[in-house]
Amino acid sequence: MNDQNPIPPQIPPQLPPVMPASGPRPLGDDPSERVAIPNVIVAIEAVLRHPRRVMFQLRQPGAGRLITAMLFVSVVCALIYGVVAGTFSGGTQLWAAPVKIAVGLMISALICLPSLYIFTCLGGSQARLIEVGGLLAGLLMLMTILLIGFAPVAWIFSQSTESLAWMGTLHLVFWFIATLFGLRFLEAGFSHSNARSLAGFRTWVVIFLLVAVQMTTALRPILGTSETFLPTEKKFFMAHWGDCLKAQDEASKSESR
Amino acid sequence: MHDHQPVRLGSIGVFLRARPELLREWVLRRQLNLVMFCVVAIVIGAGVYGAVMGSWRGPWQALYTGIKLPLAILLTTLGNGLLNGMLAPLLGLNLTFRQSLAVVLMSFAVMSLVLGALSPVAWFVVWNTPPLTAAMQLSSPEYGVMQLTLAGFIALAGIVGNVHLLPLLSEWARSVFTARKVLFAWLAGNLFLGSQICWVLRPFIWDPARSVEFIGREYFHGSFFETVFEAARRLILS
Repeated sequence: MNDQNPIPPQIPPQLPPVMPASGPRPLGDDPSERVAIPNVIVAIEAVLRHPRRVMFQLRQPGAGRLITAMLFVSVVCALIYGVVAGTFSGGTQLWAAPVKIAVGLMISALICLPSLYIFTCLGGSQARLIEVGGLLAGLLMLMTILLIGFAPVAWIFSQSTESLAWMGTLHLVFWFIATLFGLRFLEAGFSHSNARSLAGFRTWVVIFLLVAVQMTTALRPILGTSETFLPTEKKFFMAHWGDCLKAQDEASKSESR
Repeated sequence: MHDHQPVRLGSIGVFLRARPELLREWVLRRQLNLVMFCVVAIVIGAGVYGAVMGSWRGPWQALYTGIKLPLAILLTTLGNGLLNGMLAPLLGLNLTFRQSLAVVLMSFAVMSLVLGALSPVAWFVVWNTPPLTAAMQLSSPEYGVMQLTLAGFIALAGIVGNVHLLPLLSEWARSVFTARKVLFAWLAGNLFLGSQICWVLRPFIWDPARSVEFIGREYFHGSFFETVFEAARRLILS
């Protein structure tokens, strides 16, 4: 029948997808991003080298397995880093510090998850709750993996100094750097979810940082020693840090006498 | 060809992500559904946040504040409904009384959802505040930090709610300037009435002078603005 028609059917030319110059490439356009993440080792490698693969896989059915794997890695890495932090005081802190760091991280994330979801929705993001949870798990995994990278440095310092304030500051700096990379992963994840604005996300970042810092005070001591596992007195982190610095100052004054 | 399917207001995600055109469609065609959704969001979101605020003092205060915070929001919306409905057309935005009520409710619903989502963080702040003892005073720094944080969250949620409303008003008025005028007028009215309603419904966290009660008789004496004026006068004249 086609042979009888002298005019060939008009087929529109195949044009490449129009992308805004500033917009990110769509997830999954690289075939390597479509390869499933079968185990935790691949998950660690993917979050460091191919974060887009993790983001793509979080949108696929069965993302729960990947999220569980990422949370598992986060807990294990936090425990390892905690042991290193615990070597500063030794004794019971060798098990108390890892437990507190791992539990503190997980509770901070859980506390902040509802506000993250609401703020990203307000920004127009199409990410579902499970995807938001997955990206948060990715943040935790990347953060704790980076902390493991800092662990040898932290260990060397913890063996060479007795200053609690100095070690506390050092751990906070390491945690802050690791968190920045984790937040960069999270922001990249949301940039693929059609978000119109990242203002809400940035507000959430401030809340998350404050919650995490306060968690270190709520679960103190993580570095020093104490007769009880958890503090008997409640404090805000600014007051706690002020007390620590004051105690450090008094100790150095009495030493100089 | 676009097959125009009306989007149902079925979940928090759909409500928060909705573009101004869709919000407008809901206000015009699915008003009852929208109002019901907003009222439920306010009762649950603000209620949970209120309960967290009051939990520092005790379970009864948690229950009372859990009721009083959504009540303050709903009473402000209803109390200013007529005024807001009149101000909108006067300032160039052609909204009916019902539509303006629905739009203001939407803004408060967004605020309440943000408050509800911040409740775990607020709970963490309350949990970290030293418990109420005889030594605790209104001027205690720990109490001040908690009070400021909880009020800061409410301010943040309020800003988010209003910012979310602006694109809808701009779309409706076809002018950002008009939308801003209307929003400012509504904000001023809601702030004026809302402050007094909160003043009458206090305490939300703690009143050291009185035992836990839903609304004390003496809270009906005076007004928020009188007290602020008196405090300012004393400060200047002393």
